[in-house]
Amino acid sequence: MLQKKICLLGAFGVGKTSLVRRYVDTIFSDTYLTTVGVKIDKKVTAVAGEEVALIIWDIAGEDAVSAVRVSYLRGAAGYLLVVDGTRPETLETAASIQGRITAEIGAAPFIALLNKADLVDDWALAPERLQQLEAEGWRFRRTSAKTGDAVNESFAELAALVAK
Amino acid sequence: MLDLPARISDSLLLLIEAQRAVAHLVIDDAQRLVQAGGRLEHYGLCGLEIGSLASDQIPLLEGMLPLAETPFLIRSMAMPSGRIADVHFFADEGTVWVLLLDVTAEHDEAQLVQQKAYDMTLLSQREARLIAQLEATNDQLKRTHRELAASQDALQLTHDRLQAELRDAERYVRAVLPAPMSQPFEVDWRFVPSTELGGDSFGYHWLDDEHFAIYLIDVCGHGVGSALLTVAVANTLRSEALPRTDFREPSQVLAALNEAYPMERHGELFSTVWYGVYEPASGNLRYATAGHPSPIVLSGGQARALDASGPCIGIVPMAKFAQVQCKLNLPARLFVFSDGAYEIARPDGSMMELPDLMQTLSQAPASGQSELDHVLQVAREAHGPGALEDDFTIIKLAL
Repeated sequence: MLQKKICLLGAFGVGKTSLVRRYVDTIFSDTYLTTVGVKIDKKVTAVAGEEVALIIWDIAGEDAVSAVRVSYLRGAAGYLLVVDGTRPETLETAASIQGRITAEIGAAPFIALLNKADLVDDWALAPERLQQLEAEGWRFRRTSAKTGDAVNESFAELAALVAK
Repeated sequence: MLDLPARISDSLLLLIEAQRAVAHLVIDDAQRLVQAGGRLEHYGLCGLEIGSLASDQIPLLEGMLPLAETPFLIRSMAMPSGRIADVHFFADEGTVWVLLLDVTAEHDEAQLVQQKAYDMTLLSQREARLIAQLEATNDQLKRTHRELAASQDALQLTHDRLQAELRDAERYVRAVLPAPMSQPFEVDWRFVPSTELGGDSFGYHWLDDEHFAIYLIDVCGHGVGSALLTVAVANTLRSEALPRTDFREPSQVLAALNEAYPMERHGELFSTVWYGVYEPASGNLRYATAGHPSPIVLSGGQARALDASGPCIGIVPMAKFAQVQCKLNLPARLFVFSDGAYEIARPDGSMMELPDLMQTLSQAPASGQSELDHVLQVAREAHGPGALEDDFTIIKLAL
């Protein structure tokens, strides 16, 4: 079976672990529990009729004092950049991480997930900034680990990209 | 390297092995698992097949081999058993050694500290966003307040202009009222509009040497529309500007007025009018009414109402008005008034009525006070503080 390593990256508290739990275990918890280090999950999905095992690396979020270790992406076929739609600063963290990955590892398929789409009233991302990143080749999806909106679709889209 | 005796270095290794639950995997350059040992079950790595592809059995190895750098460390990786391990990679003569060292305790401690730090950071970020939102809302409120203040200034200017215009109009309404007279008989009046512009107007004048006309108009409602119509009707009567009408005949006058001021052409406004003609030589009074309160005559110590009937002006096309003639026993006093002179609501909700006015007129006023001031005082006392609800108009002829 084809096996592909993918990573979830982003600022702390954006919902990376919640997205994995929603995708792998179909569950969600409102309790925030920070990730230290790395947690690996495996999920088999189908791409164009072929089974693909996704090895999902849920990597601790980046904060002001500790940057994501880009070397953990070694051998990754693609990645999901996760942004908290209610915290504009997490979009800039994602942009910074993406720049370092490209510089150190090279270009790899990725999708930016604008998570917490259920918090419509608190949504705070500037459309102009999103358009600017789209012009640079970013593709966005609005997701909600809480409701499950677009979560499976996002993983499936990345699986299709990395299985090519 | 520490230059330790073998006995000590062996003890140290034994200590690390015991505390860190050391396990190891060895993978060859074909990425097959060639050796596995130590506390593998501690990490949930059971049933490994020697000779099979390592990454198929151990997901964390996917993409990691061959090593790009050695040694290489992945800190705090959650293992299948739930334990947390630091994962060390070492290249060694065509093989890769993977060592697992348990750091669960350190991980849990770090997680507690990090959790508190992140919770604080998230709270402070949220606080900053809320403050920014509050400041933006405050700015918006200030802008709105400034706009409101500007609107209020503009409204005040408009209000002042309208008030000035209304005062001009009120002055005009009062200016067209006739002055009191004393010869050959006394005529006096009191006129108190409920608002600055009311619906009452009146007049009196000599039609010729023998006939004296007196009339009072009460247009329904108050304000500019009612005032315009009442002044127009009063001017029509004053200037005797009704075609084919003998102004000595009250029934003709009211019929002609009714044709000239139909309500559908005058803002849906109608009016009550009392019109009378007095002949001093004979003492006769002819009058007709268009829905207006009956005047009161005081003569020989008796008060009586001059009853008559007729529809209001402007409501019924081609209406006819009855004309009544009576002879006044002199000396007599005739009071013509609008309903606002007696339909006064008292604070307890009860209403003054026409008999109350008749009684007031029958009483002698306080010494030095005119009868009309007395009537107005009674009305105001009955009403209580504040402006009267309706226009107060009363005319007195002392014959």
